[in-house]
Amino acid sequence: MDLRPALQVQTAIKAMTDVILPAVDPENKLAQEQARLVIGMLNLVAQRQPLMYRYDRDELSRFLALAGTLQSQTKDLPGATKALHALANSVESGEDVLDRARAEPSELESANFELREKIGALITAIYSETETGKLKHISATVTAHAKEQLLRERSWLIGQGWESDPKSIPAIETLIGDGPAAR
Amino acid sequence: MSVIDKSHPTHEWIEELRKRFPCEAEIDRVLTRKMHRRAGPPYTPVTLETLVQGTEALLRSEIKDGFEITEAKWLSGGASKLQMEFKLTWNQPGVGRTTIPLVLRMEPSESICETSRLREYQIIKAMEGVVPVPPAYWVDPEGKFLPYPAIVYGFAVGVTKPSGVSRNVSGVGTYIPPELRPILGSQFVEHYAKIHNFDWSKSKVLTAFDKPKPGTDAVALQLNWYERLWEEDANEDVPLMRLAMSWMRANMPPVDKVSVIHGDYRTGNFLYTEHDNKISSWLDWELAHMGDRHEDMAWTTSLTFGTMAEDGKTFLVGGFMPKDEFYAAYEKASGLTVDPKRLKFYDVFNTYKSANICLGTGSRVARSGKTHQDVLVAWLSGISYMVMNELRTQLEEVL
Repeated sequence: MDLRPALQVQTAIKAMTDVILPAVDPENKLAQEQARLVIGMLNLVAQRQPLMYRYDRDELSRFLALAGTLQSQTKDLPGATKALHALANSVESGEDVLDRARAEPSELESANFELREKIGALITAIYSETETGKLKHISATVTAHAKEQLLRERSWLIGQGWESDPKSIPAIETLIGDGPAAR
Repeated sequence: MSVIDKSHPTHEWIEELRKRFPCEAEIDRVLTRKMHRRAGPPYTPVTLETLVQGTEALLRSEIKDGFEITEAKWLSGGASKLQMEFKLTWNQPGVGRTTIPLVLRMEPSESICETSRLREYQIIKAMEGVVPVPPAYWVDPEGKFLPYPAIVYGFAVGVTKPSGVSRNVSGVGTYIPPELRPILGSQFVEHYAKIHNFDWSKSKVLTAFDKPKPGTDAVALQLNWYERLWEEDANEDVPLMRLAMSWMRANMPPVDKVSVIHGDYRTGNFLYTEHDNKISSWLDWELAHMGDRHEDMAWTTSLTFGTMAEDGKTFLVGGFMPKDEFYAAYEKASGLTVDPKRLKFYDVFNTYKSANICLGTGSRVARSGKTHQDVLVAWLSGISYMVMNELRTQLEEVL
């Protein structure tokens, strides 16, 4: 998916800064203030959104460390038993999540990018040497993959209103699965 | 990620692409200039005052007598160029002192549709007297006077759609009321035939156009143009796009007659005057080139640019007439044949081209902040996946 939030936010900031804000009535203080706040808010999103996953993972690791320390420091104190039991369940669950949260989102993006590039190069290479009629099975493989991939890309952008029959496109949530925890 | 940083292309990589994908000389010049500028600054807003000053400088180089520019204002329209409307008071040759409305059409730093203002100017000049076109006055092909390359047109009168009929942002899919269909439709076909039968070999103005020979030269030039564009601009690769190009390379149909191809001949790209229902101007010639008429025909007859008749079943080309009727009228008006096999090839080519421009170039120029309306370009890029799905179904039919 090429049309990612980072690009969308960047273009929205530029439109706000270059075109919209200069056109807002200088006498309308509320509109002036809120236009500037929208730009500020979008800038904050642009800066922080790429770090959000790493931030959450860091936060989880430090809460797990805090929980571990508190578990050992409070285990013999009165009134702690029930709360410690509940905490232990959450620690177990949190450690499992942290263990699985290894790759950065940018690494996933890079892996997809590289596979797209190398597969594209492979297709160009083989079709330049062999006539298309002899590669029907490969053509079928590529178009079958494209059908599934494009369905997801169209579903992702369904809100833009391009589709003539939007009801025929399944919701993105049903197409991309429930996430790694469900496997 | 890729070892090639397309946002900061090296000289060696640019030269490699030029060698791998030989294009028409002027297209090569435009694409190479784009790549040399890519690592430079993003587009910064241009004021009306700057545009007026640049236009004055351009006109001073062309007009000896005194002139005055007044009433400059922004004009909306299109996703690819900036436009300024203004009035020029000058001593017009053959007319005398007069004031006329004009339009300046200027590129941004990089455009979703990277084309040549010089070619646009020349093709309009060549088409004068052939089909209705807006008067093209002056061109600044290198951006010598204006911040970027630009062209000055006469203000064309007319409307793109009947008054009171709604349309969407790009002007495609315009509804033509039944009583207007035969009147505008016959002109639509007649002008098409004139463009495709135009004897470009006798034209002295088309110096920025290569003149391919009959055969596959013209097709190869088009494939090279758009494959080079994909290499230069696309961020993520798309295997389906590679498959499409591979199929097209292996199935180039020979061109029997090399014609002027408008490149975007459709309802929404002509103006007509409502008082007499006459087409007054054909617009948007920036993609014009020499090639196979079937490229134009496949574009014009695509579902995107037509509408359904009142029965909800009959597709009307351009909103005018059913496909079979359109082909028959065209063959009669032009004396040229319509070959379904070649139409099929150009269906694939045109869909590939649309996806290439929307996704590859659209996302690239928006990502690099190179236009005056990145937000619009990024928004329009969203249609790419639907277009590529159409490409997939077209490929499944031919592979």
